[in-house]
Amino acid sequence: MTGISLSISDLEVTGQGGRRILSVPRLEVPAGTAVAVRGPSGAGKSTLLYALAGIIAPSRGCITWGDTDIAGLDDSGRAAFRRGTVGFIFQEHLLFEELSALGNAGVTALYAPRRDRRRIRDSAEGLLTRFGLGKSAARRSDTFSGGERQRIAVVRALAGDAPVILADEPTASLDRANADALADDLMRLARDDGRTLVAVSHDPSLHDRADRVIDVRDGQLELPEAQNA
Amino acid sequence: MPDPIADLLARLPLWMENTVILLGALLPVLVIGALVLRGFAIWPLLSALLRRQVWVSVVFTMLIAVSIGLGVGLIAQERGLRQGTARAADKFELVIAAPGSEITAMLAAVYLQPSAIPLIDGPTYAQVAAHPNADLVAPLAFGDSYENAPVVGSTPAFVDYLSEGLAEGRVFATETEAIAGARTPLAVGDSFTPQHGQGNEAEGAHGGFEYQVVGRMPLTGSPWDRAYIVPAESVWMVHGLANGHAPGWDGTVGGPFDPDYFPGTPAALVKADSLGGAYVMQAQFNTDRTMALFPGTVLSRLHALMGDIRQVMSILAIVTQVLVTVGVLAGLMMLTRLLARRLALLRALGAPRRFNFALTWSYAVTLIVLGAGLGLALGVLLTRAISGVITDRTDILVTASLGWSELHLVGAFVSLTALLALIPAWLTMTRPVVRDLRG
Repeated sequence: MTGISLSISDLEVTGQGGRRILSVPRLEVPAGTAVAVRGPSGAGKSTLLYALAGIIAPSRGCITWGDTDIAGLDDSGRAAFRRGTVGFIFQEHLLFEELSALGNAGVTALYAPRRDRRRIRDSAEGLLTRFGLGKSAARRSDTFSGGERQRIAVVRALAGDAPVILADEPTASLDRANADALADDLMRLARDDGRTLVAVSHDPSLHDRADRVIDVRDGQLELPEAQNA
Repeated sequence: MPDPIADLLARLPLWMENTVILLGALLPVLVIGALVLRGFAIWPLLSALLRRQVWVSVVFTMLIAVSIGLGVGLIAQERGLRQGTARAADKFELVIAAPGSEITAMLAAVYLQPSAIPLIDGPTYAQVAAHPNADLVAPLAFGDSYENAPVVGSTPAFVDYLSEGLAEGRVFATETEAIAGARTPLAVGDSFTPQHGQGNEAEGAHGGFEYQVVGRMPLTGSPWDRAYIVPAESVWMVHGLANGHAPGWDGTVGGPFDPDYFPGTPAALVKADSLGGAYVMQAQFNTDRTMALFPGTVLSRLHALMGDIRQVMSILAIVTQVLVTVGVLAGLMMLTRLLARRLALLRALGAPRRFNFALTWSYAVTLIVLGAGLGLALGVLLTRAISGVITDRTDILVTASLGWSELHLVGAFVSLTALLALIPAWLTMTRPVVRDLRG
């Protein structure tokens, strides 16, 4: 697995009525880096994450992952980019309760090209085992604890072998021990597997483990000049 | 101008022609399905959706099923009734009666509906009976009854012709013997006293006269199953009329009758030696003294009238089904709002818009197809139930069953509603992902 670099320039995201909700003049993140994003509620952290995933289209600027400027893609192009490049971990797990752990972990196989489906399912199965859920892979996901459900969501993000992992408060619903274990897992994924990780979090233990920490306040990124170089 | 498709269909065996039409009706849904679902493995999420919304799915499916069941059931019933009435008239090739209403004469002779019909006199009857094209001529002397069942006077030859062999016993040989219809309560050996008149107009019993049942008809699927057939001579005799034979009669019931002692009959059944012979007789006996009618033709005219009603029923059935389905699809639109977060999640994970479109459309079509299948089953049950009631009330054996036309109708319905289901599916693609994701 080889991560891909992120380059943002002149990025602006506007909300209803043209109100500016995020502005990033410049940001460079080398491939394989683990970045933690912190800031008060409503500062624009999740907006940044959604923009990086192409879920939100910026009103201006460039978001370049590797060689691809996703700001220049249409909705379908950005969705295709997410399919091939991004694993997304949501704050509230957001699982399909009626599906099994394995069904959720491998859900992206349902719309992946036929040739990739087996690989995604096998990968999901292996990752569930790696995250200690292998024996309960066939159980409905709504029978798992909060920590286990978050691990299923992490496996879902990883199963497609995406070089970029974006996580929105991944440890928010976990107890301390589970939060630390998940933070370790995410950092290991970045370092051992060479993925690029951007995690929005209030959790100091995740900040401590990250390669870089970016603060967001009032829709602006606050980072030392050296980090932008 | 020749129509090559119609020509091709006409050359196919009937079952193949119907299968081709059914596939043609289903073609739109098959094409849409292939295009919409292409490249996706939709089933795990679709089944999850069905399980999550199980009661909503059941209610929507049942609404569609009931509307289809009622629609196809009524159409099949109408066809069954047409076939049943035609079958009941099969044996009544040509009926000759005094001039009047053809429909009244047919209803009286074939379906034994009580009517006041003028009589054919002896010489006229003798003319009919002596016609060279007549294989069988039998008087049908209505007017009496027993416990609301008609008692009809005729001849042993008529009994043989109508029954094609009795189910039990023998044909009457004397004026006090009777044949019971297959659905009458009396058994061979039982006796009964006839009443004058039929139905509500039945008067007192013909005192001092008694018939003994000596034979039983097989089931004919007509009102004759609930009737008693007795010698025409006895019907005339109990009414104080001549018995159709000259003095010195040896007591052998049945024709030939003596025109001078023939008191008259409301109708005569004629079986001609050939179809051509039947037309010859029909032409010859349509005079100022007699009316000759083919019950089948009179029935066809009635059915032609019913044909218009059938078309209206078919259109109403489709309109009802489509309205119910539009209601269900409107419900689905609301349902997709409840599912908005899940659909947004799929989009956020990278699912193409078409995947959500396919998921919503296939959910709607699953309900429609399940509803259509259940509706057909319901239609079969409904048809059987109504057929039973009609047979019970009219004694006309109605064996309605769903046919190809109902399958074609349901096929067209599925395709039409699958097209309509594209609307809620399309609406899911226009929803804002971020807002739905945040719930």
